[in-house]
Amino acid sequence: MIRPEEIKMSEEETGKWGMVINQDLCTGCQACVAACAMENNISFVGEVDSGYGRSMHWIRIERFWEGEYPEVKMTPQQPMLCQQCGHANCEPVCPAYATVHSQAEKLNLQVYNRCVGTRYCANNCPYQVRAFNWRDYKRPEPLPNQLNPDVTVRRMGVMEKCTFCIQRIHKAQDVAKSEGREVYDGEFTTACAQACPANAIVFGRVDHPESLVSQLARKGHGIKHLEELGTYPQITYFKEG
Amino acid sequence: MSEQFSRRDFLKLAGVGAATTAILTGCGPASRYVKREPYQQMPEYNSVGQSTYYATTCRECAAGCGLVVRTYQGRALKVEGNASHPLNLGKTCARGQATLQGLYNPNRIQGPIKHVRGDRLYDSFSNPFLDDINNAPANMTWDEAIQVVADALKNYKPNEIAFLMGMAPDHLFDLVTDLAKATGMNAPLRFGALSMFEARATLSKAVENLFGQPGLPFFDVGAAQTVFSFGANFLETWLSPVSYTRGFAGLREAETKMRGKFVQFETRMSSTGAKADHWVPLRPGTEGLVALAIGKLVSEMRGGAIPRAFSGVNPAEAAETAGVELVALENLAGMFATSNVLAIPGGAALGQSNGLEIAEAILALNALSDNFGQPGGVYLSPLAPDQTEYSRPASAEEMRTFVEKMAGGAIKVLFVHGVNPVFELPKSLGFEVALTSVEQVISFATFPDDTATGADYVFPDHHSFESWGYQRIATGTSQPVLSGAQPVVTPFFDTRSTADVLIAAAGLAGGKFASALPFADEVEFLQAKVGALLSQAGGSFDAPDAATFMAYFQQYGGWFRNADARITPDGSGVLNSNLSGSVAEFSGEGEFFLVPFVSPTLAEAGANKPWLQELPDPTTTVMWNTWIEINPETAHELGIENDDVVKVVSELGEVQAYAYLYPAIRPDAVAIPFGQGHKAYGRYAESRGANPADLLAAHFNKAGDLAFGGMKVKLEKVSSAERGVGLSRMESRMGVYGESMGEEH
Repeated sequence: MIRPEEIKMSEEETGKWGMVINQDLCTGCQACVAACAMENNISFVGEVDSGYGRSMHWIRIERFWEGEYPEVKMTPQQPMLCQQCGHANCEPVCPAYATVHSQAEKLNLQVYNRCVGTRYCANNCPYQVRAFNWRDYKRPEPLPNQLNPDVTVRRMGVMEKCTFCIQRIHKAQDVAKSEGREVYDGEFTTACAQACPANAIVFGRVDHPESLVSQLARKGHGIKHLEELGTYPQITYFKEG
Repeated sequence: MSEQFSRRDFLKLAGVGAATTAILTGCGPASRYVKREPYQQMPEYNSVGQSTYYATTCRECAAGCGLVVRTYQGRALKVEGNASHPLNLGKTCARGQATLQGLYNPNRIQGPIKHVRGDRLYDSFSNPFLDDINNAPANMTWDEAIQVVADALKNYKPNEIAFLMGMAPDHLFDLVTDLAKATGMNAPLRFGALSMFEARATLSKAVENLFGQPGLPFFDVGAAQTVFSFGANFLETWLSPVSYTRGFAGLREAETKMRGKFVQFETRMSSTGAKADHWVPLRPGTEGLVALAIGKLVSEMRGGAIPRAFSGVNPAEAAETAGVELVALENLAGMFATSNVLAIPGGAALGQSNGLEIAEAILALNALSDNFGQPGGVYLSPLAPDQTEYSRPASAEEMRTFVEKMAGGAIKVLFVHGVNPVFELPKSLGFEVALTSVEQVISFATFPDDTATGADYVFPDHHSFESWGYQRIATGTSQPVLSGAQPVVTPFFDTRSTADVLIAAAGLAGGKFASALPFADEVEFLQAKVGALLSQAGGSFDAPDAATFMAYFQQYGGWFRNADARITPDGSGVLNSNLSGSVAEFSGEGEFFLVPFVSPTLAEAGANKPWLQELPDPTTTVMWNTWIEINPETAHELGIENDDVVKVVSELGEVQAYAYLYPAIRPDAVAIPFGQGHKAYGRYAESRGANPADLLAAHFNKAGDLAFGGMKVKLEKVSSAERGVGLSRMESRMGVYGESMGEEH
């Protein structure tokens, strides 16, 4: 295993899977948030715990306000999820190696059965996209029937976060392998991108220059959030306009 | 297969299966169900087990998006959009995604129940997150239930029997319509809170007045240069939100044109308005006046004679009345004059005493862009393939007439399906009280909702994912679409399809009832209806015979005519029409305009799905509760702070909720979301938040829609915020502004 601090990424090798999110198109409708929760067996926590900021959303739509009435304006809606950083702040602080970098997929993994719940990673994540299971959140019967068998159900004391729907990545790779080919661009996508009615989220291979996501990222006016921290995030955002 | 068939071969085959996973079709209702197996009994290598996908139609609202549902071992696991469905092209909204939490809801009605009115249909929970199922048990058999329905049909005069139905599904509405026509029963009435807040009756009446032809307008947002929307929440719940969101994306980004501009006029910033380039707050009820003023200014800028439609308005006075600067209107008119503008009248603007005049004034603006039947302009939505004339759900005024009939004893048997009028109708219409005057109330509710609680019998219908059916697409696509629904899983509880119950009961009742519905079951009825399309050319598929046609209909999720069938409205007389720049009348005493709006995430029936409750509202980020939006300046003057308990008092009643200091609402208005405040409807919805429909008085506009925006209310502080008690907000995790973003406010 390569230790996280040994991972050195240049700006040219930015990873494998990535996203482009167009904030000009995002309407904040929450379809991605619901789709993510349904795909990834995310617990709902109820009014009290969500009031304490313990909701488990792996993706959230941020919006802020500018100006005052009547010149008030909402900033462009900003879907915020794990940026799958090439050089992730969460990784070196984990004493249990529960959050590690995958060599194969170049993603930040969260290994649930290694996690001991120190929450150091969440403290260190500049994007605040990690969610901690403060309790065993109950899913009353028969709600568990909808659980996705491809995704682990997490219990109390475990940290979790967006995986770029790694179960879908693996399924697509299995299919491609059985057919003796590579996964082609757009063959599958993440739950959030698949649901998005505005097509504001595009997912794909950032290491293939001809993939849609790479073409979009090259458009030039994209930004990467908190790039100055040297995190090498894999998600490119387009602001308004 | 021989014993030489090795495990390796098996795995290879399974892999091929995964690669070629197709949307399956069924044969008949019995043979196509896949049994649910416990995961413990699953075969070896279940982690690579194969999923089965079924196409069906979403019923979380009446838009009718096509879905493909992933199932596995007989369980429904994930909802996706149907990529070949012309309405939503593979996309879904949040409510569609959360359908599964309705299917597997812990508080579904488990079987047929004879019920004492007012009794609970499930236990109340001290902690709704405990996993006990304490639903009222079924206490009769389905044979007894069908006998009850048959007796009700037989023992009462046909004109004493009435059906109240929701806006979906259409196949059941057709079945009841056929039954009513043949027997003289009251024609079924359809209603939905969404259509009330969309003011659909007003929209179609305005279209009829201006273009001489009724219909539901289709606004081609995607191809427009500039959109002027007057209170249209088309990115939230309006008409067909997934389709309009795709349109919005087209407005903003297309290879062949400049980024389209978007201006929103409204009293409080909706999450649609939040996307606007220019957000223009207006005094409620002045939208029509502003539209006419813009029309006049544009005509002046372009030179030539002022069209008669806009000649009667004085822009300076209009700006004054609406509470905007004249220079702002002139700037917008300048933008209009040099662009092709699509003007959209939305529900928030039309739910006023002068809503019909407002709708006409806004629609008339499109004549200045001459965009009728043009890309980026106004069309009339195509009728569905099996439809010959436009029909719309009942307006609030028609519902009042119906409620009066109930209260007067003219309705002795009431069947309710697919709608929850005790919750959805304004309290002032008196539905709940009138229900007590009806001798027999039979509810077909899937969930123990507010209306089922007042019923004598509850004969639960299947959930939409266990149901057959079809839905006509009312608007949102250029093609005529009949969207198909099929069960994706076996019924989870001892529920029964309402269509099957009615067919069986009509058979028992005999006579003209039996001859009206000569079908063995629901599927045969569907085959008879859908099979009529077999002879039609130009559709999305052809089939040699009826059975194949039906199979394709299920597999593809419906039948779509290929041609663009949008109707070009005749707008030749619009500029010469007589439009009134009237100002709305307001009822009630108080200094604040009341702005009720539909919760974008919950809508009218989402409150029982826990993940919809936990979705942050797009504008306020509030979860799990009701809030009252107050402008921070106003709140400051009244000594109100965030999370104080405040009370809104209308002429009819009062609603109490937490205050939310909302920076994007006029200082003279308060806004309350509709969607919470259920008295029943399961553990996640009950006694949560408040229902603004309790505040709404029975005032109507000329098209019969409720003037829900025509009220003035008082605002009172009840108590100050307590530490640790208040609204749950996502923004408390990420900041608002001035708090964690380092800005001073």
